[in-house]
Amino acid sequence: MELTVVIPSFGLTALLRACLFHLEAGLQAADISRYAIAVVDNGSVVPYRSDQFPCDNLALVRLDKRTSFSRACNVGASSSPSRRYLFLNNDVLLQKDALRDMLQLFARPNVAVCGARLVYPDDLIQHCGVRFDAGPRGCYHEYHRRPSSSVSRAVRDFQAVTGAVFLVDGDLFGSLGGFDEAFPFGYEDVDFCLRARQIGAAVTCSQAVDSIHFSGTSNQDPSRQDASRAVFFRRWANRFSIDGTISE
Amino acid sequence: MNYYFLPGVGIFGGIKVGFQFAEILASLGLKVVVATPGGEAPRWFSSSAPIVDRDLALRHLTPDDVAIFSLPHDHAALRETGARLVFHCQGTDPAIDPIVADPAVIPLACWPQARDYMTSAGRNPIEVGISISDGFYYDGAPKHARRVAYMPRRGLDIAESCMASSSNLEFVPVSGMHEAEVAALMKSASYFLATSEREWFGLPALEAMAAAAVVVTVPTLGGMDYLNSGTNCVVADSADLPAALARTAHPAAAQLRARLRSGATAVASRYRISLQRTLVERALEAELRAAVSWN
Repeated sequence: MELTVVIPSFGLTALLRACLFHLEAGLQAADISRYAIAVVDNGSVVPYRSDQFPCDNLALVRLDKRTSFSRACNVGASSSPSRRYLFLNNDVLLQKDALRDMLQLFARPNVAVCGARLVYPDDLIQHCGVRFDAGPRGCYHEYHRRPSSSVSRAVRDFQAVTGAVFLVDGDLFGSLGGFDEAFPFGYEDVDFCLRARQIGAAVTCSQAVDSIHFSGTSNQDPSRQDASRAVFFRRWANRFSIDGTISE
Repeated sequence: MNYYFLPGVGIFGGIKVGFQFAEILASLGLKVVVATPGGEAPRWFSSSAPIVDRDLALRHLTPDDVAIFSLPHDHAALRETGARLVFHCQGTDPAIDPIVADPAVIPLACWPQARDYMTSAGRNPIEVGISISDGFYYDGAPKHARRVAYMPRRGLDIAESCMASSSNLEFVPVSGMHEAEVAALMKSASYFLATSEREWFGLPALEAMAAAAVVVTVPTLGGMDYLNSGTNCVVADSADLPAALARTAHPAAAQLRARLRSGATAVASRYRISLQRTLVERALEAELRAAVSWN
């Protein structure tokens, strides 16, 4: 398989359908013919039915009990081994040319993980790369909530990118054992990137186009990432480089 | 894989120089990680280099890997690993002589004095340069006319003599600060007092020059390539430094200060990271290509 797209999803059927609609346009623009889409139904109260998603090469992977984002991703990836994986949140509307640009960035030396530039529906930056500072927040999204039009589109490498749109080399994903399932929700993407860089992989982010990320639609609990955050800091405190601001 | 081995992450110029070099290599397409004790990251300067645990790295090195080091005492331990060794020379203490004499080690030179030292020992080091973080370059921030930045860690007695003879000046110590705070302080200072004798290169003085501070300094070993007394700084022996500072800061010396500041920023502009990157890129197209790992 050239590419397996993994979409962990809980409920939000209509939004997932819109996500898939945009994904198909992106796959077509990227000229990818050998692909699979694994929608991991992460314990939705009413299980998904395949007739709800008129989409080529789509398989539903049902988890009866809601589990961690990291585990849902890993289950989806293992359901369809592939040369590359694209992990995609169900609340992302991929811009048609985003995937093509991400794949082109894989041609750069050592690039094995590529994120995407994401905006909220009002064109403010949701993600265009992750930085780290020495303050208590640790990692943060660069230029978060700045107008996208004011943020450079120059491609640069990062220590990490968000897992909301996350293209990764299949061999690397396998060699690192996928996302670490010790993370219940959040930070598994940053952890993966830091581990990948330790074995020489470069992490970059597509900046060419903006895709829409509604963000936090499946889980709006403000403390939803606290447990993962604790895991992350136990593992990585003082062990990531400081490439951002030094104070809040 | 290329590993840059460091003995710690404390506030020493050599640590920052090592990280900068690793980042430049990574930006040119090499796989590079920095190996520090416990995989600890430095907190006092900005970097994006990946970090691994030094002991783990030592255990896993193979002959296909390249171990870059700059501290002489790492030589023996790294030699046992069988990895290819690259010595990133940041100082010319006689302790490096066994490394320079080791034909299995490929030497790199950060500055001309280091190059000349190794050349005189019969080696032909690859020049890879040294650079100043972009944050130090003067951006027009207001300067305090009487502010003198200094580093108390080395030569405090000399600094105290200067304070005693120039009580009209405000001396601000640079100690234990993040690089960004140091840069802001230097950009706000009119003078930088460099009191560290036997300094290999004197990176802080060069950073101060980039920040458009007038540098009043004792002589260094490696930095005399850029320190040109009367043109871009004032160099004086430690006993003469208080008088030199007082003369330079005298109200009648405004023209001298303007000239020194102008000369300093000009010379510092030769140490931009982008220029070092170009130098390393050219080296990678030549003799450095075979010295590093491309896997």
